[in-house]
Amino acid sequence: MSLPHFSILAGAAALALLAACSKPEPATGPAAAPAAGTQATPCGRVTVANMNWQSAEVLAHVDALILSKGYGCEVELVPGDTVPTLTAMMEKGQPDVAPEAWVNAVREPLDAAVKQGRLHYAANALPEGGIEGLWIPKYLADAHPEIKTIDDALKRPDLFPAPEAKGKGAIYGCPSGWTCQITVGNAFKAWDAKAKGFVLVDPGSAAALDGSIAKAYERQQPWLGYYWGPTSILGRYAMVKLDAGVPHDPAAWENCNAKLECLQPAKNDWARAQVSTVVTDRFKQAGGPAFDYLNKRSWNHQTVNTLMAWMSAQQASGADGARHFLKTQPELWKTWVTPEAAAKLQAQL
Amino acid sequence: MALLQPDFPALSEETLAALRLHIDGSFRAFTREHGATLERAFEPLRDFLLLIEKLLTQAPWPLVVAVLAALAWAASRSWRIVLGTVLTLLTIGLFGMWQDTMKTVAMIGVATLVALLLGLPIGIAMSRSPRLQAIVNPVLDVMQTLPIFVYLIPVVMLLGIGRVPGLIAVVIYAIPPVIRFTHLGLRLVDKDLLEAAEAFGGSKWQRLRHVQLPLALPTVMAGINQTIMLALAMVVIASMIGVQGLGQPVLRAISNQYFTMGLLNGLAIVGIAIIFDRVSQAYGRRLQQHLPRPRG
Repeated sequence: MSLPHFSILAGAAALALLAACSKPEPATGPAAAPAAGTQATPCGRVTVANMNWQSAEVLAHVDALILSKGYGCEVELVPGDTVPTLTAMMEKGQPDVAPEAWVNAVREPLDAAVKQGRLHYAANALPEGGIEGLWIPKYLADAHPEIKTIDDALKRPDLFPAPEAKGKGAIYGCPSGWTCQITVGNAFKAWDAKAKGFVLVDPGSAAALDGSIAKAYERQQPWLGYYWGPTSILGRYAMVKLDAGVPHDPAAWENCNAKLECLQPAKNDWARAQVSTVVTDRFKQAGGPAFDYLNKRSWNHQTVNTLMAWMSAQQASGADGARHFLKTQPELWKTWVTPEAAAKLQAQL
Repeated sequence: MALLQPDFPALSEETLAALRLHIDGSFRAFTREHGATLERAFEPLRDFLLLIEKLLTQAPWPLVVAVLAALAWAASRSWRIVLGTVLTLLTIGLFGMWQDTMKTVAMIGVATLVALLLGLPIGIAMSRSPRLQAIVNPVLDVMQTLPIFVYLIPVVMLLGIGRVPGLIAVVIYAIPPVIRFTHLGLRLVDKDLLEAAEAFGGSKWQRLRHVQLPLALPTVMAGINQTIMLALAMVVIASMIGVQGLGQPVLRAISNQYFTMGLLNGLAIVGIAIIFDRVSQAYGRRLQQHLPRPRG
């Protein structure tokens, strides 16, 4: 439960559970309408969870395009969210595939389901995992090569002037009410940032936090604050993550850093969240080569951030983003698929 | 038969995308060019707001309670209202919401002040010029109905997050009643009285100052009262762009299902709202007592 998504996602569990298993949404184009009459669909019908954040949405559409056009599956995209979708997969075996599952949120029941053989982990969709921490803009890192760690940045309150507290530096924190508000608040204490002349600014909402980054970037102003990836913001605005200088200590994290009532937090790095593709047992058995594809398919932050930045700049949908990716990066996706599937897919782009 | 299709002949995807990108791009260029200047222009307002906030949050609490009670007495001359004010403030303090409440009171106070300084002259000007009225009315409609986040994020890109953009959002949302009620109040003043004043040789300014405004005051007060209420309603929204005060704990409570925390802070907002409402209404009624009964 460490990444920002989860605190908001978990709450809507029951509601979206209904949505996840009741409202299939046809995939775009031929994906929804496989060649009529042909029963040459070796992998059959497959439902793919289309999670409601950008990176997962574009990955779901990439999977939908590749599975339908490359492997002849009959793909349906269903809207989803971490907890409800994975719960539905555990309980009902539907949808078949969660392309980008942030498994920390449902670690225990998921591991149990995997042990019982009802669900399976396929590829780590993001091998680098989800990352979070304190970031500065790249132009600032270039101008101040001495700032590499959080401690380095905290030596320079003058460099990050707080708009509403004269003579202090500002750290833009996590939006109100998100889990990360607690971890960032504890980090602020652990690094003793107050004594070092900093204030923690509550941006109130993710939109306002994004707005503050965009504002700083448009005017090339300094900015220091909390962010997470992969996100389109990190693709659009090159940012450098400050090194925490200490490793992640899971025990201390659970006992103190992630707790509101933690009185004396110690410095602790944010963990990398595991981001995997999860499939149902039914699909693993029936999917054949299509399952092999899901078992290989993974991409790195750089690719995802750049793709999402393109989507944001064009204000494109997940489907547009997926098509753009397949058109521009064949050298990457061809390593995921069989040569036949690659040929079929290439022919239809 | 093209008209009988369900699909509306919308502009092409490319045109719409180009339009969106162009407008977004122009706005970004504008923020690059003028953002810093605008930010500097609002600095005095920010400093004023910070000063008021500092006064309220750093003064000893009994003093703040006494001053607010005295203000309530001066405006309402009612022991019941003063007692209610003091009890509400003490309850809020007892439940550990003093600092946040004072920040909110500072914000609402300054927002109301700005709304009055801008709204009263606009309302007066509107009552004198039908053309201005035709321009201002639709603008007020937009201000009251445009979803707040639509302009909140552009404001953040111009001015950053914090009190000033929050204040601007609150004023945009809360100013229409002052303008509308001032305009209405002045319009409703009996024409005979104005003619009488003119016959006695009153100048335009004298007629406004000594006849129209006093007679319109109860209506204007109703507008001010509405403005304060709307400003308070914006507290939670404003905290979404980093305005400190009671809105932040409410936001935190909403996203974590902390029911008690949400309820307590929500009730604190209600408490201040009732104080402001009763005091300003009582003040409005007192103003009315000295006036001749409206003829009907």
